[in-house]
Amino acid sequence: MADKETVIGPETRISGEVRGEEDLIVRGHIDGKVQLTQTLTVEKGATVQADVDVRHLLIAGTVVGTMVASESVKLASTARVVGDLASPRVMMEAGAAYRGRVDMGDIAAARAAVSSRAVQRPAASEKSTTRPAPPRMATPAKAVVVGKAAAPVAPATRPVTPAVAGAPGPASPPAFPRVAGAMGSMTPAWAKKKIRRR
Amino acid sequence: MANTVIGSSIVIDGEITGEEPLTILGTVKGKISVAQSLAVEAGATVEADVEAQTVTVSGRLTGNVVARERLELKPESKMVGDAKSPRIVIADGAGFKGNVDMDV
Repeated sequence: MADKETVIGPETRISGEVRGEEDLIVRGHIDGKVQLTQTLTVEKGATVQADVDVRHLLIAGTVVGTMVASESVKLASTARVVGDLASPRVMMEAGAAYRGRVDMGDIAAARAAVSSRAVQRPAASEKSTTRPAPPRMATPAKAVVVGKAAAPVAPATRPVTPAVAGAPGPASPPAFPRVAGAMGSMTPAWAKKKIRRR
Repeated sequence: MANTVIGSSIVIDGEITGEEPLTILGTVKGKISVAQSLAVEAGATVEADVEAQTVTVSGRLTGNVVARERLELKPESKMVGDAKSPRIVIADGAGFKGNVDMDV
């Protein structure tokens, strides 16, 4: 029992701070901050909206936040990542979507910047859903408004039907899409291409 | 397979919500709300208000517990806080301090 691995299952959400000295596999959701001396794996379908400070970072799901990995970062082909990235080794597979700044040099400075940042939720139990989104998240949300053509990158080859675009729109928070189902109305251009292919 | 496991070196400060079984071997502070079972294993420390279907404590739990079905304190477990559940089992050797509410 001593070395049971840590897994956040697909139906579980953590908001707050996670620290540890072992590997962590995320299949569900984490909001807040993650600090590990080992590997963080964000699996396909998982979302992490957090500042991340780990040794190795493997991303196949969605991550929004500032990421520091003291050894390596790997974005798999299914990764959807927004935020600045600092690590001496950075690998991206074809198909990975990323927006942000990469720094393979001064990890110490980046780490100091991340760790000095407080988790944006002072009380553990209150209003986790109303926590203000990290600053970066506002930008990708502007992709589509109903009745308007999308960004110039994605010409309106397929008209946006009101049913599709309207449904998730108003209800969802104006944030980076968390689940595949919410990807209709607020998807950045890169994610829409993916949807169209299906 | 236990769906969510918090390993022994992990410290979580915040809130955990979920629809699947949760096993804690590490430390959790804040609030836990799960639709199914919660297991606080030996060596684990939980300082949180807890809501779950069934709660099994083998480690140390500080906080108020609402178990919709069953709360079980194993031998060697320590719990401080109010317990509310229709069925409560306290094993010989368990330590407990707090109110018990079995809705009677």
